[in-house]
Amino acid sequence: MRGARVLLLGPYVLLLAVFFVAPLLLMLAISFSRQSYGQLEWAFTPQHYVHFFTDAYYLGVLGDTLWLGVLTTAVSLLLGYPLAYHLALTRSRAKPLLIVCILSPLLVGIVIRCYGWMILLADRGLINETLVQHGWLAKPLPLMYNKFGVTVALVHVFLPFMVLSLTGVLKRIEPQLIEASQTLGASPRRAFFEVTLPLSLPGILAGSLLVFSLAISSFVVPILVGGFKVHVLPMVVYEQVLSVFDWPFGAANAFVLLVISVALIAVYIKVTERALRGIV
Amino acid sequence: MILKTVVGLIYAFLLLPMVVVVLAAFNAGNYFTFPPQGFSLKWFANFFQRREFMQALRLSTELAVWTALASTVIGTAAAIPLVRGRFRGRDLLNAFVTSPLLLPQILTGVALLQFYTLFKMQASYAALLIGHIVVTTPYVIRTVTATLTHFDLALEEAAQSLGAHPVRAFFEVTLGVIKPGVVAGAIFAFAISFDNFTLSLFLTSSKLTPLPIELFAYLKYSFDPTAAAVSAFAIGVALVLVLGIARFMGLEEFTGF
Repeated sequence: MRGARVLLLGPYVLLLAVFFVAPLLLMLAISFSRQSYGQLEWAFTPQHYVHFFTDAYYLGVLGDTLWLGVLTTAVSLLLGYPLAYHLALTRSRAKPLLIVCILSPLLVGIVIRCYGWMILLADRGLINETLVQHGWLAKPLPLMYNKFGVTVALVHVFLPFMVLSLTGVLKRIEPQLIEASQTLGASPRRAFFEVTLPLSLPGILAGSLLVFSLAISSFVVPILVGGFKVHVLPMVVYEQVLSVFDWPFGAANAFVLLVISVALIAVYIKVTERALRGIV
Repeated sequence: MILKTVVGLIYAFLLLPMVVVVLAAFNAGNYFTFPPQGFSLKWFANFFQRREFMQALRLSTELAVWTALASTVIGTAAAIPLVRGRFRGRDLLNAFVTSPLLLPQILTGVALLQFYTLFKMQASYAALLIGHIVVTTPYVIRTVTATLTHFDLALEEAAQSLGAHPVRAFFEVTLGVIKPGVVAGAIFAFAISFDNFTLSLFLTSSKLTPLPIELFAYLKYSFDPTAAAVSAFAIGVALVLVLGIARFMGLEEFTGF
């Protein structure tokens, strides 16, 4: 019976092998092949990777992508920590409602959330239109189609992941530890910085890795809120594959992104395994 | 006190875009300004009259139902050995089966598109459905795992020592206890599929467009509040689904806190 139980994994493992692992391996093979006149030719050439890493434009895109990732992660941490801290400690009866507030953005499609920011930030959007109509502003502020708008929307999209990672860790900190440090004479402020904060480091690390890896692979936000004006790596992949139809180069771009993501995910799994078994 | 104010503002930030979309959907004007220009249902009327939106809504709903059913069965089955099994490489296998959740979906999308094209399967209903099942199943595995970990194995053993066949013991005892996790997983899988954009973008054609793709195409060329009505509708669906998860599993259990 014990051996038979493992068979239950069969269907999903098979599905993953055929429709997840095999396609990714195929993509790797395509990234090393050639394409002439729209026809794929199997080969083993690193030319697309060389192209990517020697072209100033693509290096610039890579740099911008990573920078937006850092910015998004930092702001998410700054906003997510107070939220998680409050959620972990609250005994309020409104707690389920607060969890709904954090979860519901996750279940609302990304296109819709971007659209919400477009309504708010556009030149004729809610903020600008209202300010101009009331005469508080002569001409609209550039809030969208730039890195500012993209960062705001990215933070909004990925903040829930940060909060989920942080709350899990913060909730496991024994309240007695904090009480003990205060009984021993530490101010609440000192207790926070010397007890709570260091103990929540695994959550900070896990949340940051997760948000960073999600942020650098997002392309809906740069397309809609960035209006194709903020160029990031996933957008290049999208354009190469679906508009230019240069599959090998698109696949090579995708693999650069994949290597970065997988490296981050590997560290993330190591961190979460040790610190927060079983948490999202 | 300061913490509460700051936290309140951050919650406002989280909810703001959704609130704005819903308000814009009921606003009479073409551009949403403050104060609003009056109440109107004309954008909803337009949404329900446009054939492309209705077709997209039907496709998305159908796709989400099939995805939820398939991934719930496959995911629940997979969760059992992952929680109970004592075999080598379990942690590695655990990481493997949840990897579609962690890998950026744009990569899964590109890889599947190239794979399907080479095998002449691109832009078919089955191809889209399989893609959705691959990415939603890890969510089911997670929710089922969460409830299964708390399950007292003694219950199942008791049923077996009373003469029940292991399979019968599972269906009559275990499944009853882990039902909340299974149902929550199914609802979550439905929601993820219904809202999926990134993966679908690579697997659709002009004849096979789920609602998020249709909305995206609409937004690229026009900015009128019909898009807001479509979005408000989808937000309503999401809200119902969250309440469903809360009802069956409890949100604290679902999120792990």
